[in-house]
Parts: sequence; C-alpha cells; structure tokens
Amino acid sequence: MSRKRALIADTFCLTKRRRCAADSVTDGAADIRSSLQYLMTLFSRKLFNDSLPPVVLKHQLYSLHNDKTSVDKQVNELRENGDLLMFQLGFDSEAFALVFAEDYRTKVLQGEAGRETLGTVEKFLAKLIPGCSDLSFNKEKMLKEFLFTDPAITQLVKSGVLTVRDAGSWWLSIPNSGKFIKYFIKGRKAVLGMVKKSKYGEILKTELEGHHTTSQVKFQMKYHIHEIMGAELVESIQTTSGTLLRYVDGNVN
Amino acid sequence: MLSFLYARQSGLDDPVRLRRAESTRRVLSLELNHNRDVDRIHGNGINTLDTEVIDGRYMLSGGSDGVIVIYDLENNSKKPQYTCKAICTVGRSSRHVHKFSVETVQWYPHDTGMFVSSSFDKTMKVWDTETLKVVSELLCYSSHSALLCSVLAVGTKDPKVQLCDLKSGSRIHILQGHRGEILSVRWSPRYDHILATASTDSRVRIWDVRRASGSLFTLDQHNGDKSKASSEAVNTAHNGRVNGLCFTADGLHLLSTGTDDRMRLWNSGTGENTLVNYGKVVNESRKGLKFTVSRGCSPEFVFVPCGSSVAVYGLHSGELITMLRGHYNNVDCCEFHPDYQELYSGGKDCNILAWVPVLRQPGIEDDETNSKRGGTQAAINPAFEDAWSSDED
Repeated sequence: MSRKRALIADTFCLTKRRRCAADSVTDGAADIRSSLQYLMTLFSRKLFNDSLPPVVLKHQLYSLHNDKTSVDKQVNELRENGDLLMFQLGFDSEAFALVFAEDYRTKVLQGEAGRETLGTVEKFLAKLIPGCSDLSFNKEKMLKEFLFTDPAITQLVKSGVLTVRDAGSWWLSIPNSGKFIKYFIKGRKAVLGMVKKSKYGEILKTELEGHHTTSQVKFQMKYHIHEIMGAELVESIQTTSGTLLRYVDGNVN
Repeated sequence: MLSFLYARQSGLDDPVRLRRAESTRRVLSLELNHNRDVDRIHGNGINTLDTEVIDGRYMLSGGSDGVIVIYDLENNSKKPQYTCKAICTVGRSSRHVHKFSVETVQWYPHDTGMFVSSSFDKTMKVWDTETLKVVSELLCYSSHSALLCSVLAVGTKDPKVQLCDLKSGSRIHILQGHRGEILSVRWSPRYDHILATASTDSRVRIWDVRRASGSLFTLDQHNGDKSKASSEAVNTAHNGRVNGLCFTADGLHLLSTGTDDRMRLWNSGTGENTLVNYGKVVNESRKGLKFTVSRGCSPEFVFVPCGSSVAVYGLHSGELITMLRGHYNNVDCCEFHPDYQELYSGGKDCNILAWVPVLRQPGIEDDETNSKRGGTQAAINPAFEDAWSSDED
C-alpha cells in the first residue's frame, strides 16, 4: 500500500474544477490587495515615528499565495493602475518593496512640509503616481519627459525621493528608508539565526512566532517569517502540527 | 480514464487528447523503481546522458573519467526485474578514450551509427558505434556542443561558437558576440538554422547560422524595461552565469537556468521573457547543467537537477510539482524518454537512476484470492472492475 498521495493532473479532476471555477476567478486581484493590507498591518509604524509609509516586500506575498506567477501578474496590474508603487531596495537585486501610492504620497508630503523642496517634490509625485511605473529614471527622461531642471533633480535627491544609481540615473526610493533597511537586514539575520540554532535546524512556525524577540529584531516576528518563507531562505514543510521551517544550507546570510 | 476512452471511441475527442492525458498522469506518478536498474560502469560522476531519437532504445552516457558507455534500455526478459545492460564501453584502456572528463555526448540524429563526444581535453571526437573507433577528431578548446544533421556547434572557452561540418571534417565559421565562456549550446527543434548559446557573461544569444552578421537577439530578463535592473545588469538573461538551456519539444519556448538561482522561460521567436516565476531553483553548478522538458504531456513538465534531487516544475504555471529524491550526491544530467514517460538521471554518485511511472499495480491480495478460487475467473482487467457489484449473483 502506498502511503503517498498521488498527484493528479487537472484534467482528471473535472468535476471539482467546475465547482471551484466560479469563485476563484473573481477573487484574484482582491486577494492580493487584502494580503497586502494584512502585511501592511504587520509593519511597525511606531518604530520610525510615523515618518515611513507601511512597506511590504514583494516576496512576502509568495508565502501567502501558492502561484507565484499570478502574484506577479496581479502586482503588475495594481502598478499599472497606479495603486501600488514598487521600489528596488538595493541590497538584493530581486528584493522589491511595495507601498500603496496614497500612503507614499501622504508620508512624503508630510515629511516635506515646511521645506523649500516641497514644490518640486509635489510636482514629481503628481507626474509619478498616476502614470509612471518605472523603478529608475535616467537623465534624458527627467529632463525631457518630466521637464525637470538639474537643480530640481538635486532637490529631489536631497529630499530622498530619488537615490543615485550611477552617473546620470536614479532609483525611485522611499525617503528615510535607510533605517528601515538597516533594521530589516539585521532582523532577518537574527531570525534566520534562530531557525539555524534550533535543534536539527528546524522549528515550527507557531513556535518561532512565539519566540521572544532579541534586541536585534525590531519588526514583528510575523513580518520576518513571511519574508524568509517567501524568499525561500527556509524550506516550509507542512506537517500534522503545522508548518515547519527548516534552515536551508547554502544561504549567504 | 474510462470517459477518455469512450470519448475517443465515439469520436467526441481527438485521439491525441487521450494520449496526452495518460502521458501526464504517468509523468505525475514518476517514482524510483525497484525493478529497473542501470548497470553501474562509471567509476566517477556521470556528466551527460543522451537517448537516441529513432527507437529510444540505446542510451549514451559520458563520465568524468572520460569513459563513454552505451546501454540498452529495452526490457526483453519477461520479468519485471530488469537491469539495463551496458552493451559496449569506451573504457580507460581504449586507445581513443578522452584524457579528461567528457562533457557532452550526443547521438547522430538520424541513426545510431555514429556519435559525438566533447571533453575538457580540448578535443571533440566523432565515433563509429560499430567499431568504437574515432573517425575524426577536432581540436578546439571546448566543452559543450550540439549536433544537428551534419553541422556541429561547439561552444568554446574563448568566447566564440565554432561551427564544424562533419561531412568534411572542417570548420565552417565562427559566431562572435559573447564575452565569456560558453556554457551551453542548443539547436532549435523547430528551425534548422536557429541556435541558442548561453555563457558566463550572463547573456543568452539566439543566432541564425545562415547570416554572416552577429546574433539575432539577446534575451533580456526585464523585457527591455531598463529601469528595473542596475546598470550593469541591463540586457542580461540572468543575474549570474547562465549554465543551462533547453528548448521545449515544439521549439516555441526556451528555458534557461542561471547561478542566480532562477529559471526563466522565453518565447524563442521574439525573445520575450514570459515572466513565469519558478521560485528559487537552486543552482550551484560551475559548468553546464543539463535539464530536460517532457514531451507529449498536456501541461508540460520541466525536470531540473537541483542539488541531489530532481525538481519537477509545471512549464507554464511555474509551480513545483514534486522533488524526485534518490541520488546520494549531486545530480548532473537528466534525460526524458518520451515513449515510456521515463526519466533517467545521472550524477556524481556514479549512478544512473531510472524513474518509472507507477500506476495501477495489481495488488498481491488479488492474486492470492484468484488462485484460491481455482482459477475459475480469467484475470479481469482492473479497468473493468467495479467496487459495488457482488460476485455472488
């Protein structure tokens, strides 16, 4: 007797598919948005004195949904609509940060209030949010399409909305996000260390969530756990007692 | 399954549909088979496997010790327990054997009279299968090659692709364009003149060998969206070395794997990244990785060696279907047999493992009860047995 449950192709599950087809199609985009909102609640705002909008990493969504390709597609749809902004964080070429556009706008303007760069930043945001879904800008684009002058570009870099990529091109960025990245990397390393140090290099997800956080981990444990699961830095195995996270050898971190 | 048979019989369905459905079901139930074994000849890791196209009966394997072995895969004994015997070997004692590791072996595409092997000892040898002697030898600093009709494409360490003609034994021309060592070369199964090459400079180039000018296009992972990548990574296929290429059976799509732990699916006509996300495909190989795509199934599957197991992904959905575990060490190559839906994989542990579909095995209890009844019932095909009717009526 084979204990393994056999894998069955879709073609042989006709009846099941007919029943589920109706509800799965409509829920697609709404699902991602609700997952994003859930993940945003895990982000600790107080840590940054409310100066940062809630930031979620794209691969955290992979830990909540099975099909990575459809997650990517829906994120791109939301970006095209102008609801979501994506940023390249810089420490990993594959790690992208997602922020809701309205949150970004309110926080940036809040941070800029009273400074002389406010006008330029407002103009930039007005150009950016409805139309453009790029992650980086180079000089010709800034000068010709957006009609910014060189001193205006310097003001934008000063305000933190743009960061230098290389000579003549800039990444779109979140102002004051340096602290976020620093805490994030430290926290990720600490959580991975917790998984590694546990007996046999594996720990139940519920147990890890209940672990007391060391001083290195500034964010909520759940935030970090979604992140390491989605980036496949730990292997998640379904067991009868819940999800087990096993440390994967060969990680750079 | 019965509904498929009935639909085919009554003409409701195309005959191909039943074949595809059954092939898919078989591929999903691939398992390491206790009954099927492959002779263990290699003393060192196995780098490459190739099955011939005509019958699917003979398989070539090339190893790190320079040894080349030919196996007969067909089961002529009536028993289920079967070892694929090695018919002939080019061993270390042969005069013509390669000095160093054999990286690619390939059968001549039209018959089994000839095969080609390329190795790290900077030679490419063309062998006659009958006598196991080298017919012609080409000196080129290469380790990866692909054969189509009589044109051999060799990827070399100085970054150029050399095309050689087997009929005359001479070199035809050189394709320039890459900036790093070429790790994988593949001909398109759809068009005779299209060649894809992957190299350590993170680029994959598609060439039309009839043209004298450079490559047709380079595959770009961001599809021309220059803003996504850092400036060095613009126009690259991967963020690291690209070490594996495989065309799908219809030649419409190309898969590439890279050391950035990603696998990408490209449209081979336009060079567009289809953005199917396979997740992290662990890839630590410094040399070429040989992976394969299934043929004849309805959602096609990709079999990629990942560390010491073979990962099976759905081609267009990107989901990880299963991991085939069985090797003791790194898996280097795998080969899919389209007629029987079997997978052969070879690795550093010097074993070639056969993964055979497991379906509807007759239960041992049924055989016993049948013999108890004194053989009054002829063996009933399990497809026609049902679970509700009683035998007493």
